[in-house]
Amino acid sequence: MKKLFFSTAVMVLAMIFIVACGGGEESAAEGDCSSEEVFCVGLVTDVGQIDDKSFNQSAWEGVQAAEAELGAQIDFVETKDATDYLANIDLFVEQNYDVIVTVGFALGEATAEAAAANPDIKFIGVDQFQVEPVGNLAGLIFNEDKAGYLAGALAAMLSDSGTIAAVLGTDLVPPVVAFKEGYEAGALSINPDINLISTYHPGGLDVAFTDPEWGASTAAQAMDQGADVIFGAGGITGNGALIEVAGSEGTFCIGVDTDQWETVPEAQPCLVSSAMKLITPGVLGLVTQAQEGSFPSGNFFGEVGLADFHEFDDQVSQDIKDTLSDIETGLGDGSISTGYSP
Amino acid sequence: MATASPTISQTEEKSFLRDNWILLSVLGVTLILILYFYNQNAIVTTAVLAAALRQSTPLVLGAMCGILCERSGIVNIGIEGTMLLSAFVGFITSFLLQDALGPGAIWVGVVIGVLSGGLMGLLLAWMSVTLRMDQIIGGTVINILAVGLTGYFYQQGLTAGDKLRAIPLGPLADIPLIGRVFFDNPPLTYLTLLLIVLVHLLIYYTRWGLRTRAVGEHPRAADTVGVNVYKIRYVNVILGSCLAGLAGAYLTLEAVGSFERLMTNGRGFIALAVMLFGKRTPFGAWGAALLFGFATALNTQLQFADINIPHQFVGLLPFVLTILVVAGLVGRTRDPKALGTAYSKE
Amino acid sequence: MADPNPSDSRILRIWDSFKSRIPEIWSSISVPVVAVIISLLIGAIILLISGSNPLRAYGALLEGALGDAGGIRRTLEKATPLIFSGLAVAFAFKAGLFNIGAQGQLIFGALVASIVGFGISGIPAIIHVPLALIAGATAGALYGAIPGALRTFTGAHEVITTIMLNYIALNITDYLANGPLKDPTPGNIVARTPKIFDSAVIPDLPFIEWLPLGFVVACLMASITWWLLWRTTLGYEIRTVGQNPNAARYAGMRVAQTVILTMVISGLLAGLGGAVETQGIVYRFQPGFNVNLGFDGITIALLGKTSPFGVIPAALLVGAMRAGASQMQFRADVATEIIDVIQAIILFLVAADMIIRWIIRQRAAAGDGISLSSGWGSNS
Repeated sequence: MKKLFFSTAVMVLAMIFIVACGGGEESAAEGDCSSEEVFCVGLVTDVGQIDDKSFNQSAWEGVQAAEAELGAQIDFVETKDATDYLANIDLFVEQNYDVIVTVGFALGEATAEAAAANPDIKFIGVDQFQVEPVGNLAGLIFNEDKAGYLAGALAAMLSDSGTIAAVLGTDLVPPVVAFKEGYEAGALSINPDINLISTYHPGGLDVAFTDPEWGASTAAQAMDQGADVIFGAGGITGNGALIEVAGSEGTFCIGVDTDQWETVPEAQPCLVSSAMKLITPGVLGLVTQAQEGSFPSGNFFGEVGLADFHEFDDQVSQDIKDTLSDIETGLGDGSISTGYSP
Repeated sequence: MATASPTISQTEEKSFLRDNWILLSVLGVTLILILYFYNQNAIVTTAVLAAALRQSTPLVLGAMCGILCERSGIVNIGIEGTMLLSAFVGFITSFLLQDALGPGAIWVGVVIGVLSGGLMGLLLAWMSVTLRMDQIIGGTVINILAVGLTGYFYQQGLTAGDKLRAIPLGPLADIPLIGRVFFDNPPLTYLTLLLIVLVHLLIYYTRWGLRTRAVGEHPRAADTVGVNVYKIRYVNVILGSCLAGLAGAYLTLEAVGSFERLMTNGRGFIALAVMLFGKRTPFGAWGAALLFGFATALNTQLQFADINIPHQFVGLLPFVLTILVVAGLVGRTRDPKALGTAYSKE
Repeated sequence: MADPNPSDSRILRIWDSFKSRIPEIWSSISVPVVAVIISLLIGAIILLISGSNPLRAYGALLEGALGDAGGIRRTLEKATPLIFSGLAVAFAFKAGLFNIGAQGQLIFGALVASIVGFGISGIPAIIHVPLALIAGATAGALYGAIPGALRTFTGAHEVITTIMLNYIALNITDYLANGPLKDPTPGNIVARTPKIFDSAVIPDLPFIEWLPLGFVVACLMASITWWLLWRTTLGYEIRTVGQNPNAARYAGMRVAQTVILTMVISGLLAGLGGAVETQGIVYRFQPGFNVNLGFDGITIALLGKTSPFGVIPAALLVGAMRAGASQMQFRADVATEIIDVIQAIILFLVAADMIIRWIIRQRAAAGDGISLSSGWGSNS
């Protein structure tokens, strides 16, 4: 028995060495980021994973697009602990990356600090509002309230029962609050008597976006009291709500952030549209500008809007579509205000 | 503790009688309140109560896992990890088989999820009964292991087609209030309600249950009269962990329809509190779980109604209430005497 | 000592005494060392199965954790709060209490330390730093007193009450950080308190840049905890209450008081950990930071066999793995969750030390195993 243990250990070690020697060249293929020819883009996530079906993933897809379109060399670091933001940014700084993307308002301070210390590197802060613009730092921010406003207007026009709902992440995260306020204002602009029921997740930051069971149960609770359009805005928690609504005939759901027709296919039976903040093209645009040497500093507003109606295109009448495009114009030229101020 | 310890059945009965008036008055008041609010706003009351039942399902399953383990003398703080791992395994199974089996894959997923829970139970039993390891360490090992394994092997973008949907039970579902709350649920919720009764019967009305309680109280004495202490503990821990496994399968295959990292979000620990709150009885645990579920549903409803107080204050109410209830009403819970100690035949 | 022939030289004598102790030292460190090796091997197998290169992964992990002064500092910084919460949990275990509430006590400590840090200005660091630390520790102690008192006066189980108090602490601190205490800096939309003044920031040690002062404080607290447990009457009472509350009562000890005092000290340790984290790392209170540090204390206490000095190496080990995790993910493209798997296996092997002793053919010393869950089942 004991012999067995040692021989297993020896075998494992041998395997490790074989693999180690075989895989040694992998890193040699990568270019040197400090050279002029190689354009390197790195991304630091907020606490969570790169494949979170939410903002980390959208931003990463923008960086991946930069790889495809600009030939950039890309990599990412996943943050496990909020105290590591600066250390993780430094991993890219040490390698002389040309552009570093940091995702989430929580990284704002660390990003500003790193930008001040490394004036030669361009920084893109997703969801990071810049109070005092720094030359090599662009905050990619969104008017989530406008996307929410459109979603609310759509919901109010689709609703037969006169009750619409929103299942949200937490009010500790400003974009979620913006989505909610916009949604409610948009719905009231269509129907001032509409019954709006919306709720935040009761837990803290660490659970509010990863609690799909609560999302599903809350969506059911809203449907039980007549809500027939439900806006799910809160990462995976919101996705739980969308999937729940998908099982209920004659009820619509509206996704958030990206076109969730693609990211949450289980919700397709109810998903009429999504209130989008287009992080992916926003990141790609800024990276492109960085490469071209026309990098903007300060705040850069990314695009927001409603996603395609996909298979619901027939059910959304031309009237609704016209109203939505009027609202979009109004929001654009400032004649319509969402009433939201952070 | 200073009193001579009477036989098990006597203590049970005595404490039940003593608490009875509190229990009955609580039940009475609850019933009156429900009827009052139903009269005020039928739709909202029904919606909140239905949500309370949904939210209580994983909690009561987890708590019953704790009950079976602790009644036989094994502390299980690994409920959280067991739930998470089963949720993952059940979901992955159903995903892998959906092409081959169609809708039946979900049910295979449920079975495999439950069995994987049982496997975690086997691990815990092996650690705490055979290796005589400290039981809290055993549970902690399971918790960390589950977070690590599910996180490491998690794959993005897996979809299980559908989840288990509600099956209204014919005319029963049309009864006002009760119909929506109890008889218009997905299958695992019905199963859970059935299991509460079954576990109650198992513990109090079978020879197995009597032996289990004896082993939890006084394993040496049980051993002398020919009870196989190891077997009783192994089987109870495995059986209990199957229930935690069912809670995991419920989360992915019935409540949500997909797996996400850390999606149990502490429900396994709340289940522990629910178990103690319910004094290690299945019906007590059910009551406690319903209270938690109700508190969550109420928090949602208060936000729906636009009550203008910070939701954090509403959010902490169930926890404050639990402390008050545990401190005031439930009072001292008597642990099984041999709880947490390994037994060795010598 | 074991040498029958008295040696001439003193050095030789010392060497002999050391030599005679080698088996003893080896016996105490062999199990953890072998446990770590086996766990890394199992981790390597998992990495191999999923197509990663374990050598490259572990190399990157090691480089990130200990590769340079910055890495070592990060390891020590990660270990610091783990030592505090590990001490808090281990201390309560000694009295037979399972303090799951270290998390709540820790975040209250962190919040109150930040309030003192940004709320008071114009005092020198030599007063401000300890003042904020003491305030944080006191907050933790008071919050720890609640479950202690509830246990004593109403019999409410500390496992329930501390789980509930964790949620309550989370709700209250979230509310405060997003409400009355929210950072009023123009343009700030983030839920967080203002930054603490520089005078409240724990200063760096001169010359030794890799050694954070907070870590030194943590080690100091471990020593004090050890002294308290093993060299004072109170410590004796606490241990007796933990092992046998009835015997303690017979011996005329004030069990009720001891239970409350234990929870107060346990909470104090956790609260101080939160304060050190605020004043040394985060510089403010912000929801999303300090997540899980209290829960990690349970793992650390168990890995350290609930001994105050065992907690330090346990925290260093876990701290090093966390400090190197990002580096490993970045350079070797390995999901950081592998660390949790390795950690679970280490914990399992350390607890089930008979497995390792069988592999390395070593007999266990009497009473070497860890036992604490009997405390859960106390019938007081």
